[in-house]
Amino acid sequence: MNTSSGTRLNRVYHSASAALTGLASGATLLVGGFGGHHLPDNLLGALVESGAADLTIICQGAGVPTPGRTDIHALVEGGLVRKLVSPLPFDPRQGGSVKQRWEAGQLELEVQPVGVLVERIRAGGAGIGGSFLPTGAGTRFAEGQEVRVIDGREHIFQTAIKADFALLRAAVSDTLGNLVYSGTGRNWNPVMAMAAGVTVAEVDEIREPGGIDPETVITPAIFVQRIVLTS
Amino acid sequence: MPGNRLDPQKMALRAAQEIRPGETAAIGSGLAAAIPGEVPAGSGVWLLAESGALGYRPGGASSVIDGVGETAIVLPGGVVVGTVDVAAMLGGGHVDLAFVEAAQVSANGDFVHWTTAETASLAAPGLAVDLASGAKRVVAMMTHAHEGGISRIHERCTLPVDGVGCVSVIITDIAVLLVTISGLELAEVAPGWSADDIASMTEAPLSVASGLREMTFDVPTLPWPNKVYASAAEAVQDIPDGAVVNVDGFGGPGGMAHYLMVALRDHGAKGLTIISNTAGIARVARFGAPEGVTPIDHTILVENGQIAKAIASYPVSPSINRPSAFERAYQEGESTLEVSPQGTLAERVRSGGAGVAAFYTPTAFGTLLGEGKEVRDIDGRPYVLEQSILADFCIIRGHKADSLGNMVYRGTSRNFNPVMATAARVTIVEVDEIVDPGELDPEAIVTPGVFVDRIVKRPKEFSPYLDT
Repeated sequence: MNTSSGTRLNRVYHSASAALTGLASGATLLVGGFGGHHLPDNLLGALVESGAADLTIICQGAGVPTPGRTDIHALVEGGLVRKLVSPLPFDPRQGGSVKQRWEAGQLELEVQPVGVLVERIRAGGAGIGGSFLPTGAGTRFAEGQEVRVIDGREHIFQTAIKADFALLRAAVSDTLGNLVYSGTGRNWNPVMAMAAGVTVAEVDEIREPGGIDPETVITPAIFVQRIVLTS
Repeated sequence: MPGNRLDPQKMALRAAQEIRPGETAAIGSGLAAAIPGEVPAGSGVWLLAESGALGYRPGGASSVIDGVGETAIVLPGGVVVGTVDVAAMLGGGHVDLAFVEAAQVSANGDFVHWTTAETASLAAPGLAVDLASGAKRVVAMMTHAHEGGISRIHERCTLPVDGVGCVSVIITDIAVLLVTISGLELAEVAPGWSADDIASMTEAPLSVASGLREMTFDVPTLPWPNKVYASAAEAVQDIPDGAVVNVDGFGGPGGMAHYLMVALRDHGAKGLTIISNTAGIARVARFGAPEGVTPIDHTILVENGQIAKAIASYPVSPSINRPSAFERAYQEGESTLEVSPQGTLAERVRSGGAGVAAFYTPTAFGTLLGEGKEVRDIDGRPYVLEQSILADFCIIRGHKADSLGNMVYRGTSRNFNPVMATAARVTIVEVDEIVDPGELDPEAIVTPGVFVDRIVKRPKEFSPYLDT
């Protein structure tokens, strides 16, 4: 989308649905947030309405289910999700839709430690093909994996992750997509922004370029394709 | 009946005693999440939550949450970081200790986070595996036994483990046990409990410490260790011969730690390996230096015969007619050189700081710089394997630091500095201004103080040029 002048890029979309254009069934999605906190609520709502199915969702976890909210549990319950990749797909002591679907064989889970998953996403975003990490050596997270001893310590080969879309939540964007977050709303968002073909940021406020101190920008606009104002 | 079992708050109080001044302690979920509420405000420690709060305590109604989703306050001197930073702090060994809730612990320090017999088919570690793998010490918190009296402490764990041989201290609701090379040792008992009580409830051999005592629940307010040094000379005086040193900067002049570099020259350590983008080109490229002055850069170390090797991406002068001092030293066989492409160099340093041992990059495949390196085909594209690098010392320049080492840069003087700060055993920073904790916006801090060991203020009158 361009402004009338056509000389300056404008990445602001007028609705969450429009910002998900091109997101098809079978897509792999990175979803920011920490548990149920700081989610891109409008984007997740639009995702349900879009009818996309058979999705692979990579996120920190579904957190505690919140009735009436379109969170990861709701996506799973709506039958949109084929596979969830997460360090903590659900709280084993609380359960919810994710647990039920998984136990019923309707949902595939891929579980990895936080540091492994986040490094894999970072690798995808930085063009690294894969890396050797010590995390989880000697545990079930090493089973079936390629293990190499480097400097006397076991390391596990971890592949890079790239996604089709990243759905993020930030506090402020400029119209180009430079992002800042608020508090621990930062979480997985900056690293996920790097690793998707189309990164969509739902934000609380949109400013003109120059409206954010360039030294405090956390996610440079180069990683962001679409912006939508939260409602 | 022996004494009462401790409640979670008492366990958190006892656990908080494990933290030493200036340490960074990662807080796991479950029982561990109660610790920040029991550490006195103003204590000289950083508590790290999975959510990205570093230096926090419970409370407030802001956009900050802790690792279990409760609202939290970032304390003066605290920082907000992202998940990738949390992982890198742990992976790179920057976290001194971690508190985890354990469902089981074995006599050799293996632990199971919260898997139960019913949930054993589901792995759901969250951050627990990272805590176990990355923290220097791991403290497990747990109820000593199931409700039926069956011990949770075993000779060998019976459920899939989340950490191998990592736990050094076990704090339960009735005792404190140490994991030693000769097995479990009972160090403390809860009020009203005897060593025999504990032994009878522990399904692993247990020796009793000669100094066995009763658990206490006072948590002292710890002082922050002093990181501010009076001069650059004092800050570099223990850099030994043969050290590997990260030297900041893009090319110059921005971001160069001139004051520290001069001190390192005067200190005189020899046989150094420097990791740096250039090996010193400000002297020849000048970067706008006025006529008649000589810019300070790595050249002063080279000319003083201190550099045995450089690991750099741009080790030559931009002009063939004006070779740099390092080029001459290399040509004369006085120094050796390892060249990495710039992105690869930055990634190798980052990997060192984040605990990534090695990585595959497509950069330089098929070129001289890719020769001799392992090649792997990934998704139809060739990649070369690159090794991480870690330095002994790092000397960099920031703009402002607080007295805990949290730092911001100015303009493009940021460059290699933040990544280099993470990848040395001792990071020494030179800044224009030192402020009190809380004066820097915790959301705008670029280098958390966790990575910074020593701070010196660059004297206002210090010149980036030699006064010859």
